[in-house]
Amino acid sequence: MTLAITDVTKKYKIRTTGAQVNALNGVTIVLPAKQTLGIVGESGCGKSTLARMITGLEQPTAGTVTWNNEEIFDKAKNMLSSKHSKIQLVFQDPYSSLNPRQKIGEALSEVLTVHKLVEKSAIPARIDELLTEVGISPDLAHRYPHQLSGGQRQRVSIARALASQPDLLVLDEPVSALDVSVRAEVMNLLIDLRERLGLTYIFISHDLSMIRHISDQIAVMYLGRIVESGSWDAVLENPRHPYTRALIAAMPDHTMVGNDLYEAPLAGEVPDPAAMPSGCAFHLRCPIAVPSCAVNIQNLREVEESHLIACQEVK
Amino acid sequence: MSSPLIKVSNLTVSTSDDNRTLVNSVSFEIAPGEAVGVVGESGSGKTLTALSLLGLLPRGVQATAGSISYDGKDLLHTDSETLRSIRGNKIAMIYQDPMTALNPVMRLGAQLIEVIESHEGQSGDATERVLTAFSDVGIPDPKRAYESYPHEFSGGMRQRVMIAMALLLSPELLIADEPTTALDVTIQQQILALVMHERRKRNMSMLWITHDLGVVANLVDRVIVMYAGRIVEVGSVKDVFTNPQHPYTAGLLASLPKASDKNRTRLVSIPGIPPKPWTVGESCAFSARCTRADDQCRTTLPLLRENSSTQAACFHLMGEKR
Repeated sequence: MTLAITDVTKKYKIRTTGAQVNALNGVTIVLPAKQTLGIVGESGCGKSTLARMITGLEQPTAGTVTWNNEEIFDKAKNMLSSKHSKIQLVFQDPYSSLNPRQKIGEALSEVLTVHKLVEKSAIPARIDELLTEVGISPDLAHRYPHQLSGGQRQRVSIARALASQPDLLVLDEPVSALDVSVRAEVMNLLIDLRERLGLTYIFISHDLSMIRHISDQIAVMYLGRIVESGSWDAVLENPRHPYTRALIAAMPDHTMVGNDLYEAPLAGEVPDPAAMPSGCAFHLRCPIAVPSCAVNIQNLREVEESHLIACQEVK
Repeated sequence: MSSPLIKVSNLTVSTSDDNRTLVNSVSFEIAPGEAVGVVGESGSGKTLTALSLLGLLPRGVQATAGSISYDGKDLLHTDSETLRSIRGNKIAMIYQDPMTALNPVMRLGAQLIEVIESHEGQSGDATERVLTAFSDVGIPDPKRAYESYPHEFSGGMRQRVMIAMALLLSPELLIADEPTTALDVTIQQQILALVMHERRKRNMSMLWITHDLGVVANLVDRVIVMYAGRIVEVGSVKDVFTNPQHPYTAGLLASLPKASDKNRTRLVSIPGIPPKPWTVGESCAFSARCTRADDQCRTTLPLLRENSSTQAACFHLMGEKR
């Protein structure tokens, strides 16, 4: 089983102005089963659009997204057949992704019923099993989301995603909304589940420290393109693209007390995806840009084995 | 240490209707030119502590004990006229969401002029000062910004406008409540660089509230750690972050992934969740989650005490045998 995203683009039209937003501009990813791909980037880089595409919530404007050689969006049209449920999405904020008026047991029962995953009589046992799987006492099944802590709510979201026994989980900022002291336990849970159930993860975050902790592969995105990708240690220990380097330098690090990290920040802001810069989209902010960067579109190329960057200036 | 710029003593904040304590006997000082960080999770009382300094506590919440002495006055027991003359002038604040501080239907220039005129009356050079303030915080086209509305700006630029507004009257103390939390990391870095630069230039004191330990590590001199409405540890940022003495601080630091950890070892998690401050009574609020806790911790309130590196409110400091 492999996730294959091939040369995917996604354009949105803004109805009022007719402007075109270029959310994804040619993204290619191949991720073998049981691997975790960390996707990192800032607002407007297209990471959430990509998540929606992998889960079949959006159709690519061009290109293909396949899991196990089957086109994902085709299945989405037939969601209730539950084949599609082999790919699940976990959202950032469990408080808004769970129905506040639905007990958590009912939230799980609904998934099991709609996707016809188990016999009706087996539903209560399966709910107990799912809650236990994510470390929540089955006694809490009759509670409402507001009666749980943030960490427990995110565990319930994960349990709901696991209900259909998925192969691939897309985790969109799964710990960003949680308090610092509960992030660790949710990260540990995700790592345990991956080992125990043989799951494949797409882990999307703006937080490099969490990406670093969980990923096998990392893709760094900027304005709808991957600018650097490779194994986690190649990308983070030996970053080659100037944007990756800037991102790492900008990451606050509590172990670097007293260092003057705020000396040379990257200038400028991320351009509007509705008004894409010419050539390399990063050239306006790039410390090593030369005039031809405003003209040449950069494609990913190998700088060492399985380590790709999209930059002409890095040798 | 020279005499403090502001001194908070036994500040206690409670709800008005059912008298639930949200901030409990918090005391600290800020020296002239000093930057102090307050770290804690949601519900720890860090934001309420900051708002108390400006008399800006939300409706239904009030300071019920303690004092905040500044310039010979007690800010908790002074008239609103005096508070207004200090707020925005001597003590200024920047918020997480600039849209809460900026008026969405008023041009930015006019909003900053209003700040000047409300404290100094009509001023002939107000426009000039506003334009300078915009350019000082790195706004590319100050004249255009002057005529713009907040919605025409990006999040990072709005935050710059808010900083320009806060610094306009050269405050002695800048209070910041997570002003970079909603920003992208490269923009956060720009804003932090700007604040560092302005602070050094003006020798301004700062109180920086955040849940992100990484942000304050390179920004402040001293750090206060809050838990369930109380200060549990305070010390130089270096001591607190490299040699924490309170088990909560130590646990929090241990729960973060470290870039230096090549093996990506399993994260250490703190079981459970923080209790509501008013439910703790005379015990250590962290005792239910603490591996070092004993009967004493569950029945007696530990007070801040000096140790070799910081001040911590704990009977069984990390540096002590257990």
